[in-house]
Amino acid sequence: MKTKLATITRNKKGQPVSTEQTVVAETLRIGRGADCKLHLSDPRIALFHAEIICGVDEISYIEARGGAISIDGSLERAATLKVGQRILIGPFELFVLPAQKDANLALSVELIDPLKDDVEEVKSHVKAGLKSTWLSKRTFSWAAAAAVFLVFLAWPVISAFDSGHGKQMAKMGLAADASWDVGPLSSAHASFGSNCSSCHQQPFVHVTNGACEECHKKIGWHFALDTKEAKTLHTGVFGDTRCSECHRDHKGPMGLVRSDSPLCTDCHQNLKSRHPQTGVADVAEFTKDHPPFKVSMLLPGKTGAAAIVRIAQDDKKRFVEASGLKFPHDVHLNPKGIRGPSGNAQMECKNCHVPDETSTRFKPVTMGEHCQSCHSLEFEPKSTTRQVPHGKIADVIATVQEHYAQIALTDAPIDVVLEDGIKRPGQRVGESKREAALAWANTKAEKITQELFEVRVCFECHEIKRGDGATAVDPATRWQIAPIAVTQHWLPKARFPHSRHSTYKCSSCHDVAGSKTSANIAIPDIKNCRECHGGNVTSKDKAPGTCETCHGFHTGSPKSGVPAIVPGGNQPKLLPKAAAANTYHAALLTPNSTGGAPQ
Amino acid sequence: MRHRTILEYRDYRYLKLAVFIVLAVIFAYGWYKYPLGHYGGTPLGYTLGTIGALLILWLMWLGVQKRRYRTTGDIKGWLSAHIYLGTSLVIIATLHAAFQVGWNVHTLAYVLMMVVIASGFYGVYTYLRFPTLMTENLAEDTLESLTLKIADIDREARRLALGMSDEVNRAVLASIQETRIGGGVYAQLRENVSNCPTTTAVKLIKSLAAKVKGDEARKHQDLYGMMLRKQRLVARARTDIRYKAIMDIWLFFHVPLSVALLVALTAHIVAVFFYW
Repeated sequence: MKTKLATITRNKKGQPVSTEQTVVAETLRIGRGADCKLHLSDPRIALFHAEIICGVDEISYIEARGGAISIDGSLERAATLKVGQRILIGPFELFVLPAQKDANLALSVELIDPLKDDVEEVKSHVKAGLKSTWLSKRTFSWAAAAAVFLVFLAWPVISAFDSGHGKQMAKMGLAADASWDVGPLSSAHASFGSNCSSCHQQPFVHVTNGACEECHKKIGWHFALDTKEAKTLHTGVFGDTRCSECHRDHKGPMGLVRSDSPLCTDCHQNLKSRHPQTGVADVAEFTKDHPPFKVSMLLPGKTGAAAIVRIAQDDKKRFVEASGLKFPHDVHLNPKGIRGPSGNAQMECKNCHVPDETSTRFKPVTMGEHCQSCHSLEFEPKSTTRQVPHGKIADVIATVQEHYAQIALTDAPIDVVLEDGIKRPGQRVGESKREAALAWANTKAEKITQELFEVRVCFECHEIKRGDGATAVDPATRWQIAPIAVTQHWLPKARFPHSRHSTYKCSSCHDVAGSKTSANIAIPDIKNCRECHGGNVTSKDKAPGTCETCHGFHTGSPKSGVPAIVPGGNQPKLLPKAAAANTYHAALLTPNSTGGAPQ
Repeated sequence: MRHRTILEYRDYRYLKLAVFIVLAVIFAYGWYKYPLGHYGGTPLGYTLGTIGALLILWLMWLGVQKRRYRTTGDIKGWLSAHIYLGTSLVIIATLHAAFQVGWNVHTLAYVLMMVVIASGFYGVYTYLRFPTLMTENLAEDTLESLTLKIADIDREARRLALGMSDEVNRAVLASIQETRIGGGVYAQLRENVSNCPTTTAVKLIKSLAAKVKGDEARKHQDLYGMMLRKQRLVARARTDIRYKAIMDIWLFFHVPLSVALLVALTAHIVAVFFYW
């Protein structure tokens, strides 16, 4: 076959330039190979890519061999050639031209997709540097900064100022300022939850004392501010100290109370420098220079603040209790036992000293509950189980008189030997004899009463003297029973929860086994405490012994020192003003001339 | 004279300064007693917090300085100070926080700072290790010269392959047109490139070379040599890109997290004093 080939190239202006040639061959082989008449030197062309064959009917057709061909836009294995057809072979474009008279076929050939320059080709596949990727410091920085700003700064600030939004979000469990929380609240404040403005009432302003006092209305300062001097001293020492300087919240459930010793010893190691008139001894360290304990003892027969006397434990002469009662601990705690209503009994401390409701201290010991089961007030046990009342002398006398008068004036059989002519068993007493009978009864009652007050029963426990009214009309003045002053709270300026020391025996601290008299005060001294309690610095083998271990700071509170200490409660607001400074003392007092346990 | 690294700058001047600061801070922490214990809100806590915040601002200012290419003083000195004083923040901030952590913006700022410092440590490691490796890899070349050498080989190989079998020609063409050097983040960081067309071509030509004889065998041998050289050049180019990527990647964490830290630090300070 004879083929006319027009090879098209482009000049610099892009205009086509045609170079024509005539190829004569049996078939027109197209390819990269040297034996191909249509030689297309390009790596994208197969060695023998395709072949054009002229058929017997002079119709030419093309067939794909080693590569693919595209006829008018579609891939074909073979096709009949028609004028105007566009054939793509790799990067080459062939057009079938109108037939020419001396050739079987006419084609134009143009390289329409030349290879890139090799350097360009390689460079187009080299992508170096992370900046050329999607990574971007600027974008990341803006994104991270915006996220942190919105979530942790803008939102909480907006919520704080728009409380409606803040509360609504808090209800949904999305408190905006939760992320600002520096730590868990104390257990007492835990119920505030995310309501930060309960305490933090103004932005960028310290929590004020006013915020605390909205709830803590009754809390007092370090001492009572009931005098001008006290107020001046307070201002001088504490100035504008804020509650939160000691009570720092957000430190966990237990963290609200400051308990370090310097809180106290900064002033108390040299108190006179602050308050020259003070009578309080200096102290710097519990284990070294804490003064001996001072007990607060009730004085019998006094009322109000005068009923309290403070006695140091090393003041041996004055360190004596005058309760008005006789009570030898050694007899009651005799290891061999003591005679009781049901025979020999071994008594223990707890028989009389019953813990109060909080197990901090003890309920008052009372005659009815703790003594009378043994110390019966029977005055004539041979004839009756009747007892005299535990109360006024007149009632005792009247009870005894009534008893014997009844015996004398009725026909009740009695086992006493009677004087002849007055009464026989089974006989009624005649009218003429009644005055004589009453006289007998009075004499008998007089004898028994005197026994009660001077020999047995009452005399067993009470200090009793003959009164100067022995001849007076009122028989109650014939004896004087010493007023009772049983001190309930010996160390009211300290706290000592017995419940937290319950693993120790009572006798570890209270040495009463050899005590023969109620004059002995069984309050342990400071050495006893120091056996277990260390000082300001935490010690490995000692329990804490900071000031706060025993003492409170807010002693100026109307309730200071007394909560849960005096059984039955105490209501300081009912007390006279004069006693307010010593409320814990006053709380002990019951204006009762006969003394007795505080109510 | 031996090359001195940024860590050794001026006889460890900033190491000494950082050690001094850290020891002073530790001593102060041990010596200082506050009734409520250590926390960020004590006088010492505020002091440490202020020092830490100022340090952070100063260290970030260095970043801005570097970007502006207008350094006040020796850039190596700045970098040495940046590393050592940045490291001292670990102690300063930890003692400022008094070892207290929680799910809050305060700990967020602390954690961000620690991550920034950790990424900085990685950066120091890369600066100390990779420049040497890069020099060993490139020798007298650059990435540009490697590219040109590869292009030269491509040109020769393409010509040679034109006269060879379609299979070889296709493999060579694929090697020229489809061999990727670098690319996306992962492509730049990964060590081994699977299905590399150049490697495929090398293997193919090697296996075909054994089957042909005479002139064809010589052509195959020549082509094989070319493609093997290309393979090595491509590997070196890729390694160079990989080293550069490793040396740069940490900055894409270090810088944005530093900015986030700056905002978190602001939020931390605002939060503390907002609810004072």
